[in-house]
Amino acid sequence: MEPPKVIASTRRKPKKRVRLSKSRAQPRSVAPQLEPGAPSDFDLMKAIQAGDPDALSQLYDRYNGILKALILRVIHNEAEADDLLQEIFMEIWNQAKNFSAQKGKPLGWMVTLARRRAIDGLRKKQAYARAEERLQNEIEQQPDAWVHNATEEEIVLSDTRALIRKVIKGLPPPQQQAIDLAFFRGMSQREIAAKTNTPLGTVKTRLELGLKKIYDGLKELRDEL
Amino acid sequence: MNFNEFQNQARLYVIGALEPEELEEFETARTKFGKKGEEFISKCYALHEAFALSLRPAKASSAIKERLMAMVKAKQQA
Repeated sequence: MEPPKVIASTRRKPKKRVRLSKSRAQPRSVAPQLEPGAPSDFDLMKAIQAGDPDALSQLYDRYNGILKALILRVIHNEAEADDLLQEIFMEIWNQAKNFSAQKGKPLGWMVTLARRRAIDGLRKKQAYARAEERLQNEIEQQPDAWVHNATEEEIVLSDTRALIRKVIKGLPPPQQQAIDLAFFRGMSQREIAAKTNTPLGTVKTRLELGLKKIYDGLKELRDEL
Repeated sequence: MNFNEFQNQARLYVIGALEPEELEEFETARTKFGKKGEEFISKCYALHEAFALSLRPAKASSAIKERLMAMVKAKQQA
């Protein structure tokens, strides 16, 4: 498999960018690569912890699309997803002091936070039925390509996404479904068993096998990125 | 619980899919495996990143960032 292509930058430089120290060696991530010299996510988090709004602005530019996609995948409502996205970035600003580089990567922390908020929102609304219907429509209508004046970061991200999707799509459909319901719907094993009319032990096995395959696949992916 | 079983449980734990009775058992094993266990759990959070990155990024309304930054500034001035 080819490594992600780094396209020569034709991207507009933002008017104001905080110049932070260059990326230091950190645990390798499946996250998209950054331009040489661009502040790492860790640098941005440190600047946010120091109260620098421009660092939050940069982090927003870098990840709003990913986090909104995640929220949308859970709640399936565009306007609510936008509102939640704003609340989540505000929470990132407010809770930045609780982020510790020793415990993981900024993107992982943000995704965990966004997922929890989105699932809480879904539960509060008790909108499972509507979400399910919209989910089905989206699955049927979702185009394969995401192409709108793609920037360099978006192109690299697209390569990363393709590689991760390849890992996930390599799973048998029942394993994909179990993981999807657990991660994006916040369902317990019992809830998945009831929803899919499957014995609890089978659901557990599907989750364990599927997650292990993805975890192992990501290890190989990290070597390729 | 041996470490192999702990690893299986840890992957379920990070996505919140452990049932309450499994969670109790997992926490006991977590204490037993100490630093090695914590390091493995941290690695498992890469699954969160991966699931998010597997999605096609969605475009947020342009007003969101403006509102966000206005709220941050207001909070700083307060």
